[in-house]
Amino acid sequence: MAHTLVNFSGHQHLRHRLVLAILTGKHIRIDKIRSEDKNPGLRDFEISLLRLLEKITNGTIIEISVTGTSILLKPGIIFGGALQHDCPKSRSIGYFLEPIIMLAPFAKRPVQLTLKGITTDDHDLSADLLRTVTLPHLQLFGISNGLELRIKKRGAPPEGGGEVQFLCPIVKQLKTLNFVDPGKVKRIRGIAHAVRVNPQFSNRMIEASRSILNRYIPDIYLYSDVYKGDESGKSPGYALSLLAESTTSVIHCAEAVSEPGVAPEDIGLKATRQLLAEVNKGGCVDRKHQTLVLMFMVLGSEDVGRCRMGEPTPRTIQFLRDVQTFFGTSFKIVALPGCSQLLYSCYGTGYVNANRTLA
Amino acid sequence: MDDRPHKAHRPAQSGAKAEKKSKGKGKEKQHGFNEKAFAPKSGRRADRQGRRNVERDQTRLHVPLVNRTPDDEPPPVIIAIVGPPGVGKTTLLKSLVRRYTKQMLNDVKGPVTVVSGKKRRLTFIECNNDLNSMIDIGKIADLETFEFLNILQSHGFPKVIGVLSHLDLIKKAATLRSTKKALKKRFWTEIYQGAKLFYLSGVLNGRYPDTEIMNLSRFISVMKFRPLVFRNSHPYLLADRLEDLTPRELVRTSKGKCDRTVTVYGYVRGTNLRQSHKVHIPGVGDLDIQDITVLGDPCPLPNESSEKRRKLSEKKKLLIHAPMSDVGGVIYDKDAVWVNVPGSFTRGNTDVPQGEGEQMVMDLQDVNNTLEDAVAKSQIRLFGTSSQNLTVEDEKGGISGEESDEEEYSDEEDEEEGDDEEDEEDEGDEDDKKERQDVEYADSDSDLGGDDVDEEDGRVRFNGEDQDQDIPKGEEGESIPKWKLNLSERAQKSTSLSRKAWLKDWTKLIYSTNLTPEEIIGDKREEDQEEDDKMEMDEDDFFKIKKTSSDNAEELDMSNDPVDPEELKKWEDEDMLESIRHLFITGGDVDAEQGDGGLDEQGEDADADENENDEDSNAPKPSSSDPESTRAAALAAKKEALKRKFDEQYDDPESSKLDFYTEKKDEMARQLALNRAEFEGVDAESRALVEGYRPGSYVRIELANVPAELIENFDPTYPIIVGGLLAAEERFGYVQVRIKRHRWYIKTLKTNDPLIFSLGWRRFQTIPIYSLDDHSIRMRMLKYTPEHMHCYATFYGPVSLPNTGFCAFNSLSGDTPGFRVTATGVVLDIDRSVKIVKKLKLTGVPYKIFKNTAFVRDMFSSALEVAKFEGANIRTVSGIRGQVKKALPKPDGAFRATFEDKVLMSDIIFLRAWYSIQPRKFYNPVTSLLLSNKADWTGMRLTGQVRRDEGIKTPLNVNSTYKRIERAPRRFNPLIVPKKLQASLPYASKPKLMKPQQNQTYLQKRVVVMEPEEKKAVALLQQIRALRKDQVVRRKEKKVEKKAERQKKLAKEEERKGEKEKERRKEAMRAAGQKSKREADMEDGRGRSKRRKT
Repeated sequence: MAHTLVNFSGHQHLRHRLVLAILTGKHIRIDKIRSEDKNPGLRDFEISLLRLLEKITNGTIIEISVTGTSILLKPGIIFGGALQHDCPKSRSIGYFLEPIIMLAPFAKRPVQLTLKGITTDDHDLSADLLRTVTLPHLQLFGISNGLELRIKKRGAPPEGGGEVQFLCPIVKQLKTLNFVDPGKVKRIRGIAHAVRVNPQFSNRMIEASRSILNRYIPDIYLYSDVYKGDESGKSPGYALSLLAESTTSVIHCAEAVSEPGVAPEDIGLKATRQLLAEVNKGGCVDRKHQTLVLMFMVLGSEDVGRCRMGEPTPRTIQFLRDVQTFFGTSFKIVALPGCSQLLYSCYGTGYVNANRTLA
Repeated sequence: MDDRPHKAHRPAQSGAKAEKKSKGKGKEKQHGFNEKAFAPKSGRRADRQGRRNVERDQTRLHVPLVNRTPDDEPPPVIIAIVGPPGVGKTTLLKSLVRRYTKQMLNDVKGPVTVVSGKKRRLTFIECNNDLNSMIDIGKIADLETFEFLNILQSHGFPKVIGVLSHLDLIKKAATLRSTKKALKKRFWTEIYQGAKLFYLSGVLNGRYPDTEIMNLSRFISVMKFRPLVFRNSHPYLLADRLEDLTPRELVRTSKGKCDRTVTVYGYVRGTNLRQSHKVHIPGVGDLDIQDITVLGDPCPLPNESSEKRRKLSEKKKLLIHAPMSDVGGVIYDKDAVWVNVPGSFTRGNTDVPQGEGEQMVMDLQDVNNTLEDAVAKSQIRLFGTSSQNLTVEDEKGGISGEESDEEEYSDEEDEEEGDDEEDEEDEGDEDDKKERQDVEYADSDSDLGGDDVDEEDGRVRFNGEDQDQDIPKGEEGESIPKWKLNLSERAQKSTSLSRKAWLKDWTKLIYSTNLTPEEIIGDKREEDQEEDDKMEMDEDDFFKIKKTSSDNAEELDMSNDPVDPEELKKWEDEDMLESIRHLFITGGDVDAEQGDGGLDEQGEDADADENENDEDSNAPKPSSSDPESTRAAALAAKKEALKRKFDEQYDDPESSKLDFYTEKKDEMARQLALNRAEFEGVDAESRALVEGYRPGSYVRIELANVPAELIENFDPTYPIIVGGLLAAEERFGYVQVRIKRHRWYIKTLKTNDPLIFSLGWRRFQTIPIYSLDDHSIRMRMLKYTPEHMHCYATFYGPVSLPNTGFCAFNSLSGDTPGFRVTATGVVLDIDRSVKIVKKLKLTGVPYKIFKNTAFVRDMFSSALEVAKFEGANIRTVSGIRGQVKKALPKPDGAFRATFEDKVLMSDIIFLRAWYSIQPRKFYNPVTSLLLSNKADWTGMRLTGQVRRDEGIKTPLNVNSTYKRIERAPRRFNPLIVPKKLQASLPYASKPKLMKPQQNQTYLQKRVVVMEPEEKKAVALLQQIRALRKDQVVRRKEKKVEKKAERQKKLAKEEERKGEKEKERRKEAMRAAGQKSKREADMEDGRGRSKRRKT
């Protein structure tokens, strides 16, 4: 049986392409990875990601060319189990955890992954957002029992030193999503953390944030989460992550991370304004989680899944195209009359967790 | 008028109706169910009865399953007729087809589709007596008639109707009855108690009696089907036509050996079929779909326009679609030539004298158009019929696409029309019919025109659509400055129309343009894209450069979007902050609706939110008419809803809760309704793109790289099934299954012997390793399958989802005696590596023994091996445990070991280890359809078979032979305790002499001598004793005598008494007899006297 080989070029969108390849079992070749760059080839975090994928699967063959500008991945089965991985300091844990979250429900054994490295930076979803926003999104698809992300240590860039543990159960099949009612924001939660700096910083961020948010609803709890000693990693830093939950449990989130020379109040205000912008955009899923939700919609049972979202991000557009090459599924995207949001609907592929052991 | 009340119904007070009613009521009272009579007497009994009822109720419930087949236009039900040769399968099929279509088939080949009712079509297929065909049929048939049930069980059990034929051969009624009974009993144990069994008696005019067939067909038409899990998750089709599209030239140059491009036709079943699916044709292999096209239904169900009556009209019953069979003159041959000649006519039939007309048609068949043309035409033809029925004339209509041949066809048309007219004379609406036909032709013509577009694949057509929509865009895009103005204008406009115009195309922008995501997001809208398309030639290079430049700027693959500080700036504005208040629960809608122009959009948004709950309530908003009244109405509605909710919860909190079963079913129904509703208005093209081809649609699938042998050795009597594969099923891996040898299969199965599996769609040969779970610690290999027990088997092969059933065979050939289904089971697990172990015992002997330490040799062959096993547990045969310590330098492989006790030189020391084994990577698909003789596929032979064929003896290890073990009786030396030691021991520890006394003791040895008076006394005593003894004996004798005498006397007495009793009884009986006699006489006398009187 000749295996279908899917070809891509460029270093972008590496993560979701790898995830799609592993889920469908199709071989994938990605070439021209920064071939024009002064420093060609894969970066250390990309190699680390490939290593992580190799760990979580069984029988995966990864071939990286000598120059590192092309890779060939022959995916095995998603195995799961207890794993540990050290993430490089160039990217935060979120970079590695996002693809794992997409794979973990379809593993053979429940995943217990411990990741070490930077927990919060401004490129990827922070550990806080992953815990409070991403994981609730999985519950929409029927992944709930035993789903947990424990932040054992925090690690701010550049030195990191944080540690999180991700626990994910396995499922047989995902539920079909039908999520078209955005509802209204009923509560706002937030976590302000400060490591290796004055613990008052988090309170200052909270106060700044409350100065804007208090006008809307009374149900606002912003926690100040201070990690001390060994648990606070190796570098100083602080951040505020906010989330707004609606009556139909739509979650919008925003986050701002400390920058040198910026007062904590400004960080707090920045996060708050981002949250308001996010809420204003509306939809049932925020921009950061579009790909995750769309992915799980494609993997759902052979029914029509619907979700209301804002305009797709470039990442999402590329993702949709890649989904079509891998699964052959395309979305029907219709503008809702009278607003800027779109209704994404697709026919699930009826993806069943073939790795699951029976009895 | 409307208000006037209708007259109430007054039941009849007298007359037949009233009588009937009252009678009925009375009856009901008499025979009704008297509850009191069946009321349980005791509480315990009532409890038990209640529990039993509840339990019985539960057995009725099945796990709710979603049925993926649409209700409105389901694919035909496949009815397979299976049985050994000569039982009358073909006769049954012909009889059934005649029952439905009033036509006799001459030669049945391949599937035959007929319309059986307004909502149901049936596809009959006859299964020949080949195991491969039976397996394939078993995977797709919805309903079977006859045996081969074990194959079915493992692939999901369809409905089975048993049909017994040849019952007329049993002449005696009693034998017939008993045979029927016995067969029925056997059938019931196999299927279920009460399974339907039909008896057909005799053949009349080459078919079974009409009444019996009618009864059978009635049962077929009311059959209900429960969705089967495997078929409900895979798309598949039963090919009723096959065409070879390979260029003839290619075939000629390669001498027919090149891979072919083949189209298959059939109804999609199971789930939606997508182009990205890989397919597997059992007997051929995995193939890629090149193209799917929906064709007009060749055997359509009557729709509203064509059939208004409740019942199916007789005319509709004539529909039959059997492209591979000979339906009264319509023949489909391998190469897409459809011929219609009145009467029965076959192409190959040269011995029949051919008239001019036939000859002409024959010539027509040999017309030198290329195959491609023919196919194109065939497609056109079928498109033309898509809406209307397809009968004989339709097929002609299709061919009439050939302009040059039109005349020849016109003859036939005339004839056909003549037929039609005859038909119509019955109905008396000739004109109407004619008109319809005209229209039909017009339809097909228009299709011919439009087909040029249709024939291209989806992408091309998309471009066509682009062009359509570009006309207004082109106007807009004429001046570029205007374009920007236009954009901003549009941004401000909130009229839904313009919004729709540009929002509608997200799907197209993403899926059918080459724009980069950034370009799509950015202000490049479709107008630009148009320009891009125009300039693509020139600007190709430019775009490339741009791309690379974007690559150079290191763009991280990150999920957080970079924040635009300008965007955030606007949130410092108080108005802006206020403007989103309505998005919070405290906000309310009021201010939203009264918001200023800039916020209008938001207000609408909020409204839309409210309306969102119900999809179809996206109706025009009433806000424009009168805000006050709408608000009041909204408030009222809200109150109403709240009140209802409260009532529900307050009155009966349980009432709103449904039980699990109903809830699940409701959920499924809702989802199905949603599935239907979502793509209701979408055109077929984008619909196929999004959801694939739905079950029930008649499609043509183009397959590439099909082995040439399939075409060369094509035989329509062997079913061709196209099974869609899921993403996971394209892979290979180690499959672990739970397997059980079939109880009717005589031999046991041996590890590493090849076995043919029928798993999923596939049939393949592979080499399993059997194993059992050993205390959940390890998987231990088994040499042979256990008897009457499940075990595991692991083999290398294509992956199937866990919980898929399978059956296995040792040989598929027909000449295998006995039962061929070797084993059945279910898939448990899929992995890329396996861990099956077998036991390995290494033995060694001690060659030097210290206290608890011994030097052991002959276990390993090198010090390295020993090093690997350092610390391993070892044991002697006598049970002394020990440990491997360290290798010794001198004899290779010797080592020092310690034990818990001193070992003997005669002890054997062994080490128990586990050796892991891998199944062989052998996968051999059963490509039976590629053979000229489909039944004689041979795969890898069993080891035993190879040895038998080659005359090789089973290799025999001398050490493994069983020999008689001679054990010399062991002699033990006596235990000698030194005297000195004995003396010093305490008494309890001293060795005791345990031998019995051998010399006689004094009491035994001594002699007694008596005195004279002593002697006398002893003699006297003896005499007295003797006398006494004699006396006792005599007394006893006397007593016995007396007893006997008395016994005699008693017997005599008894006899006398008996005599007396007898006498007495005799007397009584006589008296009784006399009495009865007298009575009888009296009766008699009275009668006589009466008679005398008259």
